[in-house]
Amino acid sequence: MIASAFYRWSNHVCRYVHGAALGIGALIAGTAPAHADVLDTVQVHGFLSQALIVSRHNDFFGPSSQDGGSLQYTEVGVNASMRPTNNLLVSAQVLSRRAGDDNSHYEPKLDYGLLDYQFITGNKRVAGVQIGKLKQPFGIYNQTRDVAFTRPSILLPQSIYFDRTRAPALSSEGISVYEEEHLHSGILHFQAGVGKANTDRNVKETIWGSRVPASIDGALSSIGQVAYEHGSGGIVAALTVAEANIDIDGPPGAPDRYSFQPIIMSLQYNHGYWSITGEYALRRQSFEGGASDQSITGESWYLQYSQRFLEDWQWLLRYDSLVNDRADPKGKKFESDGRGVDHSQFAKDWTLGLQWNATSDLLLSTEYHHVDGTGWLPRNQDESDRYWDMLLFQASWRF
Amino acid sequence: MPKGMMVLVSLAMLLLLSGQSAYAQESVVLIANPSTPPGSMTRETVRAIFAMRQRTLPNGEAAHVFVLPDKHPLHERFTKEILGVYPHQLRLSWDRMVFSGTGQAPNEVGSVEEMRQRVASTPGGLGYLDKGAVDDSVSVLSVE
Repeated sequence: MIASAFYRWSNHVCRYVHGAALGIGALIAGTAPAHADVLDTVQVHGFLSQALIVSRHNDFFGPSSQDGGSLQYTEVGVNASMRPTNNLLVSAQVLSRRAGDDNSHYEPKLDYGLLDYQFITGNKRVAGVQIGKLKQPFGIYNQTRDVAFTRPSILLPQSIYFDRTRAPALSSEGISVYEEEHLHSGILHFQAGVGKANTDRNVKETIWGSRVPASIDGALSSIGQVAYEHGSGGIVAALTVAEANIDIDGPPGAPDRYSFQPIIMSLQYNHGYWSITGEYALRRQSFEGGASDQSITGESWYLQYSQRFLEDWQWLLRYDSLVNDRADPKGKKFESDGRGVDHSQFAKDWTLGLQWNATSDLLLSTEYHHVDGTGWLPRNQDESDRYWDMLLFQASWRF
Repeated sequence: MPKGMMVLVSLAMLLLLSGQSAYAQESVVLIANPSTPPGSMTRETVRAIFAMRQRTLPNGEAAHVFVLPDKHPLHERFTKEILGVYPHQLRLSWDRMVFSGTGQAPNEVGSVEEMRQRVASTPGGLGYLDKGAVDDSVSVLSVE
């Protein structure tokens, strides 16, 4: 079973690698006479993470509340990059991710594939443009959210980095420009992009439920971020504004567009061995066209303290709050309208976590969650419990 | 704004006002390949290059960054004294570049001698050495 899944996986990967090799080969052929050492700039990196999730009352990523828990949380990624010329970077990553049942074949996908050209690189300023399939600079953690080594905990704060509709926030196919100002006090960073939003089956099912015969397609979307790093990154403040649009081809009278418009404020204080991070997001979601326009605005925020100790250990405490609809924070109206249980409309999550960098390439983590509400459960579980607990273990390796 | 965020903001402001760090007299120096004209770079530019966000030197040459392992004492001194960050923070910024496709990892060398040789033999090479260990094979850049 696992062997056959691996066989399929390696076949897929071979296809990607073959394609990438052809592309890189063509690039080298084009630039070879001038830069014989281009091959020296080729880098290949990757990661592999496996978690065990044991929960009480509700399931998260597979049958985690049943005997023995769930192993259905796996992340495997491989990337390659090179610099064909001084200012140009070419890179691509293939990701195979299983989070619950939805990708039981571990089918890999192109996570990003891009050209990044820096046209200004001076003492005072760096500016560049990126073209291709790009990871979105959405809050602090989004661009590398699937890489355990870049996360402070096994699960990112789900109120902002939730799983159910992660695709449109994750990446888009398009173009992005960035600029970095080197100030005396720190660095000011701007980024703006437009492109076609990424979608997947989870997004469709969240919009429609699996039984409705509808299809969806990413539409023109945009994102902008301004960030300031004080000193050497002691304080990081960022503001992200985005609009991800999805066209819907559904039954007559149904809306024809879904739009997600989040605003995220991020603030982080880094004291070297400890840091405090907070992010606050207003998330507007709307359906346009069809019989009537509807929109709701959700509110998410978290506050997180993490501290390193004994060189290679880190512990973390976090409170994370999600409200689906600010006009109905306790879900009372939602329930009285007969649309489901009230506690599916919010989630308040206390997390206590521990990470150990056993070696520089091996990370072992564990964490405990106590959650009130089911607002970010990946699947709508009809018979969910309001209060639930979760214990996670994860091993992650990189090269 | 929720109460928690207010607390966070005031805490951050307090720490900003009290936490100004002074750079001690530096005993570790930034070195470059002799093809790079001697001179100086701003601290922000050195940070941007060693964080792998900036891929070329101010003169347009492709930058090739060399570093010692995270736990090497010279690496720790370089990151703290010149860049103002801890090695684990620098490692995190490399990971964020490498796994989002927006940058590459630096070249890791195993010893101080290998650092000197690789910087000396790689046009656009950048690294660091103890002040007393510098010789004619590399040039020294001052950090403003």
